[in-house]
Parts: sequence; structure tokens; C-alpha cells
Amino acid sequence: MTDYWLSKFIYDLQQPGAVPEYRADRQKVIARYPALAPEVVQALMNDDVAFLAPRVNAYLLRYYFGFAGMSDEKFLAALHAMQPGAAQEKKAGEANHG
Amino acid sequence: MAEFVGAFAASHAPLIARDWDKLSATSREIITSDFRELGRRLAAAKPDAMVILSPDHWTNFFLDNLPSICIGVGEEHEGPPEPFMKNFPRPIPGHAALGQHIAATAMKDDFEPSISHRMALDHGFCIPLQKMELPKLPRIVPIAVNDLEPPMPSIKRCFAWGKLLAKAIASYPENIRVAIFATGGLSHSIGEPTMGAIDEAFDRDCIKAFQNGAEGPLTALLDERMEAAGNGTHEVRNWVIAHAAAGSRGFDLIDYRNMPEVYVGCGWASWSAA
Repeated sequence: MTDYWLSKFIYDLQQPGAVPEYRADRQKVIARYPALAPEVVQALMNDDVAFLAPRVNAYLLRYYFGFAGMSDEKFLAALHAMQPGAAQEKKAGEANHG
Repeated sequence: MAEFVGAFAASHAPLIARDWDKLSATSREIITSDFRELGRRLAAAKPDAMVILSPDHWTNFFLDNLPSICIGVGEEHEGPPEPFMKNFPRPIPGHAALGQHIAATAMKDDFEPSISHRMALDHGFCIPLQKMELPKLPRIVPIAVNDLEPPMPSIKRCFAWGKLLAKAIASYPENIRVAIFATGGLSHSIGEPTMGAIDEAFDRDCIKAFQNGAEGPLTALLDERMEAAGNGTHEVRNWVIAHAAAGSRGFDLIDYRNMPEVYVGCGWASWSAA
């Protein structure tokens, strides 16, 4: 289910100057979004990819972890851990298709 | 009257711009060569104006206002906001009269697009424009197609939009040359547990269907397999619109590359005007 305020929070991080401010003080920026659920705030503070993924558009999820400073390698590892082998199985399945 | 002078398509993986210096020399050579060939073909068509079909990557639109189709009808448009696109020339010249004519033709034919008098054109629109190294940028009519957030336009509707575009261009009263450019695709997965997977079998079947041209098999293929090929694959909708605008006669593939370095199955293609 889409979490509107989580989505809005990430969308707004695209504004000029927002990313450096967020990286310097996450809680200060998060505090401007009182509608964010406590468990969502916790997930943001903990870089919890698996918790946030089902609540936001996948592109916004990617943007967020880029804004937060997570490397592509770490982000991919966290995504792949959600469904171990899914990416590899997909490739294998594709090779057999048709 | 305006003349349709060809349709063109290319992928727009953001890492092509963001991580250009980190890509392998081989990848850089392939990407440069294929975009240059596409740019050569586009420049040879000598367009005065170009309709560009791309998704909006959460740049202009958000969940509180998310059009399926938005036509840029302004005299100029904002450049890409992404820091890795900061060198792109701006503002981007629009073709307001053609945009307005396309929007009016759509309304008259029972389509209901959104319009924008000033859009910000993100990497989806601008990476191909940048990499093609065009000697002169035609005036742009940007059309944002929702390829990112469900519900999205059906493939059937994308065919209808392509035919509508062809009709609008053919009925535009000014004697100008108009090209269509589709960006995005082919298969890729972004921010999903399958991120990084490229469905090369789908891509090659998709390319065959575009080459064959027929609407039925292409629609069936996309309806059946596009969703499973990764969320980024939805951008093939833009190629479908260009394909239909060019008369569904089949395209000429310039190149296809499975490029894990940029997470995308990358394609470059063109459709002739006649």
C-alpha cells in the first residue's frame, strides 16, 4: 500500500539543498513531516530498505537511498535480500524462455 | 501542411550520464557510436520540430497530480534538474503552436490529455538529446507518458495515441518538418528485488515484434510479458506510440545491447517516414 507522506517526503528531497541538509541532520528534516508514522521514521533512520520498499514507488525508493548516501552496491544487496535469488532466477528463466 | 519526417527511439539509462566516467571503455564506445548513428539519422531528416515521448521521473508530477499523458505546449521548457545533467543547455526551446495543435486535435478526437506550459525535462528527455550530439536542437513538444506509477495507459491506448499524433502532425497548417522521438526501455528493473536483471529474451522478442510491425502480435507480447520484464520496461509504451505514429510498418534496429553496467537492456532504432 502506498504511503503518501513517505512518498511526499522523498519527493521533496529533490528540492535544491535538501540532500545536504538531510545528510547532515536527518531528524531535523523528518520532523517537518509530522504525518510520517513512527515505524516509517524508524525505518528511515535505520536505512531499512525492506520495510520501506512496499510503501513507496520503486523509483522513489531508489532516489531516497541515493539521497541518503547509500551506495548502489549496498542498495542492490538490500533489495536482493528481500527475495534471495530473484534477480538471478529471472535471468535464468529468461534464457530458457521460448 | 506539416510533414512527418521519421520516428526515432533510444534508451535513456541515467547511469549513461551519472556514471559516464566509471563505465568501461567498451560500453562508452558502444553508447557513443549508437547515439551518434541515431543522431546522424535524425539530423538527416532535418526536423524543424520534434515530439519527444518520455516518462516523467517524479520531476513535474507527483501522487497528488499524476496525468497519464501530459503535452508540453510552452514556448520553452526547463532543463533537467538532476545534478549529473547540470551542463545541459537551458531553457529548452518548445514549439508551442504544434503542442497546442496536438492537444486540440486530441480533445477533438475524444482524448483528454493534460497540458503544461512549462515542463521540466528530466534525464529521460535529455540524455538522448545530449548523447546524439545534434548540430542544432529542433524545437521540442515534450509529451510525458505515465510509465512509472499504476494505472498506466494500455498498449492499445498507446497505439491510438500514436495514430492521433500522426493525424495531428499531418493536419498542422504550417509547413514544417516534424520528427517523433521515443525514449526509455527496453527491459530493466529499478528499485525492485530484481533490480539489475535484464530480460534479454523479452527484449529480443520485442525487437522482432517491432521489426515485423503488426499491431496484434506486438500488443499481445507486451500485454503478456512487459510487466514481468521489470518496472522500467513499461517505458516501451513510448516506443509503441512512435511505432503507431510511423504507421506500424516496422523499425530499423540500429543496435541492442544487454548492458548490466547501466542496469538496462539498451536499444536504438528508427522508423522511416514512408
